[in-house]
Amino acid sequence: MTRGRWTKRILAAYFVVFLLFLYGPMLVMAVLSFQGPQGGISFPMRGVSLHWWEALVNGPRADTIRETAGRSLRLGLLSGAIVAVLALTLSMGYRRRFRGDNGLFYLIMLALMTPGILLSLGTALYWQFLEEPTSLWRTAIGTHVVWGLPFGFLVMVAVWNRYSNAVEEASRDLGAGAIRTFREVTLPLIWTGLLGAFLFGFTLSWNDYDRTALLAGGENTLPLQIFALTIGSVIRPDLYALGTATTLVSLIAVGIFLVVAALILRRRRAAPATVDEEFGILESEVVQAER
Amino acid sequence: MSSSSGRREPAPALAGAGGAPPEGPAGGAEAAGRRSRLGRVADAPGLRRILWLLPGSAWLIFFLLAPVLFIILVSFWTRTISGFDEVWTLDNYRALFDSNVYWSQLWSSFWHSLVVVAASLVLGFPVAYFLAISVTSLRNQIALFIIALAPFWTSYLIRAVAWVPMMGREGALNTILQKLRLIDQPLDILLFSDFAVTLAMLQLYILFMVAPIFFMLAQIDRSSLEAARDLGANSFQSFREVILPQSMPGIVIGSIFVFVLTMGEFGTVRIIGGGQVSSVGTIVSNQVVSVQFPQAAASAVFLVLAMMVGVFLLLRVSNLREEL
Amino acid sequence: MAEPIVEAHREGAAAPSQIQRGSGLELRSLTKLFSGHHGERVVAVDDVNLTIDHGEYVVLLGPSGCGKTTTLRMIGGHEEPSSGEMILDGESLLGLPPEKRPTTTVFQHFALFPHKNVLDNVEFGPKMHGVGKEARRRKAEEALEMVGLTEFADRKPAALSGGQQQRVALARVLVMEPKALLLDEPLGDLDRLLRLRMRVELRNLQRQLGLMFIHVTHDQEEALSVADRIVVMHEGRIAQVGDPLTISTRPENEIVARFMGDNNIFRGNVVAREGDRLVIDAGRLKVAARAPAGFEPGSEAAASVRAAGLRVDQERGSGDGINELECEVEFVEYLGDLVKLHLRLDENVFVAKVPGDEYAMLRGREGSTVRISWQEADVQLLRP
Repeated sequence: MTRGRWTKRILAAYFVVFLLFLYGPMLVMAVLSFQGPQGGISFPMRGVSLHWWEALVNGPRADTIRETAGRSLRLGLLSGAIVAVLALTLSMGYRRRFRGDNGLFYLIMLALMTPGILLSLGTALYWQFLEEPTSLWRTAIGTHVVWGLPFGFLVMVAVWNRYSNAVEEASRDLGAGAIRTFREVTLPLIWTGLLGAFLFGFTLSWNDYDRTALLAGGENTLPLQIFALTIGSVIRPDLYALGTATTLVSLIAVGIFLVVAALILRRRRAAPATVDEEFGILESEVVQAER
Repeated sequence: MSSSSGRREPAPALAGAGGAPPEGPAGGAEAAGRRSRLGRVADAPGLRRILWLLPGSAWLIFFLLAPVLFIILVSFWTRTISGFDEVWTLDNYRALFDSNVYWSQLWSSFWHSLVVVAASLVLGFPVAYFLAISVTSLRNQIALFIIALAPFWTSYLIRAVAWVPMMGREGALNTILQKLRLIDQPLDILLFSDFAVTLAMLQLYILFMVAPIFFMLAQIDRSSLEAARDLGANSFQSFREVILPQSMPGIVIGSIFVFVLTMGEFGTVRIIGGGQVSSVGTIVSNQVVSVQFPQAAASAVFLVLAMMVGVFLLLRVSNLREEL
Repeated sequence: MAEPIVEAHREGAAAPSQIQRGSGLELRSLTKLFSGHHGERVVAVDDVNLTIDHGEYVVLLGPSGCGKTTTLRMIGGHEEPSSGEMILDGESLLGLPPEKRPTTTVFQHFALFPHKNVLDNVEFGPKMHGVGKEARRRKAEEALEMVGLTEFADRKPAALSGGQQQRVALARVLVMEPKALLLDEPLGDLDRLLRLRMRVELRNLQRQLGLMFIHVTHDQEEALSVADRIVVMHEGRIAQVGDPLTISTRPENEIVARFMGDNNIFRGNVVAREGDRLVIDAGRLKVAARAPAGFEPGSEAAASVRAAGLRVDQERGSGDGINELECEVEFVEYLGDLVKLHLRLDENVFVAKVPGDEYAMLRGREGSTVRISWQEADVQLLRP
């Protein structure tokens, strides 16, 4: 089937081009972050150096950057945790059909589709109306979770789809109550989905601008600060270093998930028994009982 | 001989979990280990389900529904120097309907969104096809899928910033093209044009087209493809008759996702920003919106309506839950 | 009304188990209603009454949707009845969650815990009941030895074949020493050869343990092979209860006759009646049968004759065209030990099963006419 093989090769090449298209800007930025000290923000490269990375870590803005990065990290971790929990509880409710399940699903999808700026605008106005101040930990966390939830939810729904209820019945049958069943049987089988939901929550929060913009209440997150740098002052390659660093954090998070998933898949799939073993046992014995 | 009695109507139904025990040798709830009344209530699937759904729904209602509804509310209020007053008016909408700029921007956003949808379909389908059908090992499929998806998890802001050195006059692409002698002059349109904006949108949202199609294609039974070949179909025919129809739900879902998201993006920029700004971030930093809350809210409402129509269509045209 | 126990003490049965012998399981007017997709009321189990004794192997047999699985699940506690009563050894099971019932279930697709190895799977039940580490390990190892899987103790289910997984599922429930073992299509996931072997082993296991087994299946042959008593179910109700011999040779009604397979059913009007013998005119042929009261001449009646009761070219009938017929051979199916003849008379089709040695003379006779006859003793009158 040479035709099949050619198709595969062409498609593979196309896939590589596609990846370049998606990763292109980030790769360019990463390259430029190693720009020489005299270099500008665009090509050509005037030497290669760690100058700008150094500027990032030791420069005048280094402290604020460190602070905002820390804040973004904490916000992201919290957001991821909440998304995982809410995605779990919501998807548990969806394991069987119920009245109004379409309506709620509609709402969940709305969370995905609503433009971020609209959401932060509405939230800002709404809280102003309530005469409450906005802050990262009250309003921004709210919209961050809203953004991550539909993705986490979809991941969990996919997990439940592949899950068989029979193991839970078997567990109850053997004497485990509802809570013990959840701990001993259910959780070990779905935790990868929870990890995926957490990752969505984390990365989407870590990178978010739209949904944080009006709601930070004076405390910056990393994306907000990056944006301020792009329009506020002259752009220099240390911004590229910052951008590359932030992207690396996201990619590392994804990488962790990939590794974990690969480990799981490998552990589950040991070689199945051979036919010989099967019939060997049946031949050699009749079921014994010492009773 | 034990057998069922004749065709009587069974005793009145107590459908669902837990019927009340009739008077029998061991009636009553106190027998060892029997479910207590509270336990039986908690076992009622309906109540349990409500408890599960409560936290997530509450969060969504408070942080999603309420702000959106509030915007709708504000669109009917009057603008003041410092914000808005709770005086009901239809002025905002009237101004909207009278504004030519508004309608032209709306139409322009709509049109551009359709272009992005078409482009993402044409450019994204082969990717989904490659991942789902050409790649055979499940492990590789998942790995490559996640690699393809990874940019989604990075900041679009960063990618936008990096757009300049990539697409600008002295940017990477232009430099490469010139070195390869494909062009003499750097191409300006790569950066400052509708084409550039469309390209940027594409990069942002194409994954929303690839993912649903990938899911649908991954579910196609390989043996049905073999059967088609067996019966004489060539590659093109098997594609048209077997693969395409089964990927259709994914195409529809992807199209709706991409349309709604790009419409939202364009709409926010062009409509709320009044066509004067080029990105969402600029709107906010310019405080363009802040001073004109009610008008902005009114235009936002239309946008939100468009979103809702999109989501409604999504649920109608394809039962998303069943596809999962 | 309790059915007298069919002889469970066959040759070679082991000593009775250590389980306390109570009065057994009684199902009274058991009913289960569901609401269907469009909100209509679906009667899954309709007023079922049944008594099962300890040590009995009972099979619930029927096509899909007949209520057998729902009944089993109600006994096991995975469904609650809409009405009715279930009493095990004098105590009601109603409202008792599955973890508190003295029954255990072998699930159709085994439901092994994929993340635990074989030993942990088998130890699970005792662990949940608070049995100490040493004791439960010992029990688990005993159970594994019983099913012959000792050397697979630290494998994960995914690394086992279908038959081995089924044995783990068995070990897992046996270690619990239940009062009743419930099996939901336990052989469904196995391929044919394995199924044939495993059902013999199940039967042996049950005999040696002396446990009450309640086994659900749609496979008639399986039921005949293992059961002490068969409960044929149809549309939520019991169609007939009896030992395998009775069910297969003396079906009481058309439902059972059809389901047990290869029964020829003749329908017509009663044309003669003498004492307890009546003759039914079924159009092109006549059938004679023994009958109790009722069935006066002119009334409608149906009778069934087992395919194995039909003979070719032998004078078995009663003469005068009763209990015999001439028909065309449509297809001669050679099955090794026997030959299945597919016969046709106008629009009626019949099946005859004759010994395999007759194949030589039957081969190639498709299209020809044969004379089929059967003994009156093999004619079973069906109740309406």
